[in-house]
Amino acid sequence: MTLSTSNVDVERAQREQHERRMPGDAGRPLSQSRGVMRTARIVSTALVALWFALPFLPLVLWSFANSWSAPDLLPMSVGTDGLTAAIANGAVAAFGDSLLLSLIVAAIATPVGAMAARALSRHRLPFGRLVSVLLFSPVLLPPFAAVLGINVVLLRAWVPPELGVTLVLVVVAIPYTTFSMRVAYAAYDDGFDEAARTLGATSRFALWRIHLPLIAPALARSAFLAFLVGWSDYLVTLVVGGGQLVTLPLIIASSASGIGNESSVAVLSLSAVIPPLILLGFVSRARNLNPGRQ
Amino acid sequence: MTAVTTVPTVTTVTTPLTPGPVRPRRRQLRAALLVLPAVIPVAIVVIGGVGTTVLQSLGLMPLVGAAQLSTAAFDDTDELLTSALLSLSIAVVSTAIAAVVGFFSAVLIISGNWGGRIVAVLGAAAVTVPHLVGAATVGLLLSDSGVLARLFGISPDAWPALVAGPTWFAVVAEYAWKESAFIALIIVGTLATRITSYDEAAAVLGAHRPARLRLVLFPLAAPSLLVASAIAFAYTLGSYEVAWMLGTTYPEPLSVMALRLFNSASLTARPEAAAIGVITVVLTAAVVGVAMLGLRRMRAWR
Repeated sequence: MTLSTSNVDVERAQREQHERRMPGDAGRPLSQSRGVMRTARIVSTALVALWFALPFLPLVLWSFANSWSAPDLLPMSVGTDGLTAAIANGAVAAFGDSLLLSLIVAAIATPVGAMAARALSRHRLPFGRLVSVLLFSPVLLPPFAAVLGINVVLLRAWVPPELGVTLVLVVVAIPYTTFSMRVAYAAYDDGFDEAARTLGATSRFALWRIHLPLIAPALARSAFLAFLVGWSDYLVTLVVGGGQLVTLPLIIASSASGIGNESSVAVLSLSAVIPPLILLGFVSRARNLNPGRQ
Repeated sequence: MTAVTTVPTVTTVTTPLTPGPVRPRRRQLRAALLVLPAVIPVAIVVIGGVGTTVLQSLGLMPLVGAAQLSTAAFDDTDELLTSALLSLSIAVVSTAIAAVVGFFSAVLIISGNWGGRIVAVLGAAAVTVPHLVGAATVGLLLSDSGVLARLFGISPDAWPALVAGPTWFAVVAEYAWKESAFIALIIVGTLATRITSYDEAAAVLGAHRPARLRLVLFPLAAPSLLVASAIAFAYTLGSYEVAWMLGTTYPEPLSVMALRLFNSASLTARPEAAAIGVITVVLTAAVVGVAMLGLRRMRAWR
């Protein structure tokens, strides 16, 4: 009897300790709203949540609608006609091509960006500011303006379209990987590498067993951003790819420009939304391993 | 004697070990080698791409015939002005909405309530959606037989022309939706921890909620809000697929007009497409320049 009650108390104490907020944590009771302000906060939260969630609604409703004519609130018959039509349009191959392209872009842009961020973070680079501006410029450059020009260059240099698309998308991804890795390196402690070298590790060993494990979560975040660049692109694949590379966005665009394809467009769109969400789940679970910050 | 022998080992440990006893010149070379794999492709695409676009717009790289310097591609000023104004208005309105919604979403997320967590998850989900998919789903939502029209029970004839209509409502809505999520996440990412401690300090000193929002949260978030808005504006100005899918055929935004001319059969159309590209680059550079000046003033003020 006494044992069980003490057990309960221990559990409750542990739970309370777990829930206890520390100074600087979000949501301190001090800045918590009450009364009218609380109602206002709940209403505004609901409105903002609705704002972000509403565009996902048609995807879910239309994906499983076999027939759904205009005035009806919900689909008249539910089924997988949309899926069948999407597969008939070449959705599976396009999904594979999109996945391959995005993974290649992430695999190139992430290490390249990490190396550049490492060089920039140590302030030993001549013309460091100029290099930073150049590496950030693809974010601000209108994609169509650069693509119209680079397309001519790539065609005259006989670069295969697949290679050209990869090159341009890697360039679009480099600002994201470089700057997210710069944030990571700003908080990185060189002491771990130095301690390993002092203890006799070779530079290769220190890189693989000390440095990379420590920056792995940041690398995962960068790779995710680079993956998104490849996964969301439409214009570069269309113009530079010249029809050689048919990715998921290209199929969505061609289906959406037709009439009566709503459920197939919804299925294709849903299949383009889900993979990044799964990756986001993995990336946001990646803990920061830096022992210096614990 | 023993004390003397230990001294050199101590001094070698205190110097940075990883680069070894390398002269500054070699360090610079190593840094340059590390940064080159990023710099070379970016330089090829940015400088090569923009440079070629400029040359094309001036008639110096024709598809056929001799190169001749001319500004003929910029001659149709009425058309270009209409398109530029349309593109700028779409970008200004959608970025303004995105900045307001993004800032308030960030405030809700930072407050750390369970509602804020839901907003954070939904916002992160919205950021990952490709713009083209966003355009497709906003079309399904807002068209005259779309999900919203059914939800409100309004017949297709009575529903306003939000998609492909004269107001560009669906285009602005798509950009505002995606970019508000982007702006919110940038603000949260840069300021989440600092903002709460200042907010609490102000609350301890008796500041009311509106005062804290105006005098603490907004000034702290302002620099990242400005940077994120500038990026969103530049993206919206240069983006193609949303305006192409959800807009009307006339008048066209700059990007849609450029791509139509680029794909057209006419030989004079290529320089015109390139000219629109040059105009868009100049407009983007001007807006980003103004934003950077504003950022510098903000930093000086702080």
